[in-house]
Amino acid sequence: MIQIKDMSKWYGDFQVLKDITEEIKQGQTVVVCGPSGSGKSTLLRCINGLEPFQKGEIFVDGVSVSDPATNLYKLRTEIGMVFQRFELYPHMTAIQNITLAPMKARSKPRKEAEAKAMELLQRVGIPDKAHEYPANLSGGQQQRVAIARSLVMEPKIMMFDEPTSALDPEMIKEVLDVMIGLSKGGMTMIVVTHEMGFAREVSDEIIFMDEGMIIERGTDISFFQKPKNPRTKEFLDKILI
Amino acid sequence: MGLAYEFDWGVLWRNPYGMYLLQGIWVTIKLGLIGWAIALSLGVLIGTVRISPWRWLRLIGTAYVEIFRNIPFMVQLFFWYYAGPMLFGEALQYRINSIIGLNYYVAIIALGMYTASRVAEHTRAGFSAISRDHYYAALSTGLTHPQMYRHVIIPYALRIIIPPLTTEFLTIFKNSSIAMTIGVLETTFMSYKIDSETFHGLESTTGACLIYLALGLVVVRLMGILESRLKIPGMIGR
Repeated sequence: MIQIKDMSKWYGDFQVLKDITEEIKQGQTVVVCGPSGSGKSTLLRCINGLEPFQKGEIFVDGVSVSDPATNLYKLRTEIGMVFQRFELYPHMTAIQNITLAPMKARSKPRKEAEAKAMELLQRVGIPDKAHEYPANLSGGQQQRVAIARSLVMEPKIMMFDEPTSALDPEMIKEVLDVMIGLSKGGMTMIVVTHEMGFAREVSDEIIFMDEGMIIERGTDISFFQKPKNPRTKEFLDKILI
Repeated sequence: MGLAYEFDWGVLWRNPYGMYLLQGIWVTIKLGLIGWAIALSLGVLIGTVRISPWRWLRLIGTAYVEIFRNIPFMVQLFFWYYAGPMLFGEALQYRINSIIGLNYYVAIIALGMYTASRVAEHTRAGFSAISRDHYYAALSTGLTHPQMYRHVIIPYALRIIIPPLTTEFLTIFKNSSIAMTIGVLETTFMSYKIDSETFHGLESTTGACLIYLALGLVVVRLMGILESRLKIPGMIGR
């Protein structure tokens, strides 16, 4: 589903990503962890073409992201993305947030888009919040609206960029539950997170990144209990109390 | 014959002076409103162009802003009125100069273009107040750049910058008084005209002051209503 081959990215002289190679198959959930500034978020933004990279290649469902002939707008409808700070449109209600893209990018009639949005709000557990503005929702509810906003485009892949880092502890579970449901339902997912419980439950592969490189990878959380790289060990000691 | 000044407030409403002022107010309102329509649409466009991914477009936007905000408004007005028609070549120049009411058109366009440079900077400030992830969130759902600006970024940014836009809207009415220098019969011009005909400049300029004050307060009130109706829930209101 996603193939990354020898991919490198620079901001000016500074190399943020160094020779990343990774393959994610359909239906897999890959968890990416690592200290801040290690290039995790940048990697996600390269996969859906939000940011350019200078070397190597990324293929999504066989389509090259860096090929100038690729229609990135169309490609992005295939890849949902969820952000740390939710990024809901504050001047629109929850349902307006969800229906904007289907109505504008896919020219769906309002009725049809709203029916689909309600179905998704039901799925993430907050159908009663459809007409609330983001400011009147809790963090966990906002993040679930954001997930529904991505799912409404029926993406083949979902990317999560630290989706629970800005949440109060008691709201983390309600968001993780939605994500676990998606993963078990067969969605292809890349999740940047430090929630090791989530990683243990659903991930097919865990990647540890530092200074723009993938320095350790494994298929099981137990892998990280005897990491080869001292940097991985040091990091894990800090997050796994 | 005494030397004491005798007040005559009647010059503010007595025939024909009252009519002078009413005509002046009407012209001031037209200059302000039409100028503002130009300033807002052109300003938002240029503010958007200044953060576009295309270098040459950004350059044009920056050049516009720096030229129009760094030259005094009165100099711009003189330039467009006296030198502007010459830019079109000799044949057209004659035809342009014979347009009836040319000074009105020039005043409106000059006010609009000058204020647009300031609106563009406020718009840019509004854009940069929005986090990069917010742009990415809109794009990641498959919206194109124009759709993202039209439905997500511009409506959000304009709400953020309503307070400085209110100031610009007020300023355009005040700046419209400078149009008297090219013979536009607006409020300030009319108050001078009353002074020159009656020698009651104190009363006529006081009248002009009150007119501008009243206009300004109406604008503040209208923008306040607009602000509370468009307010983003959860943002600090007034």
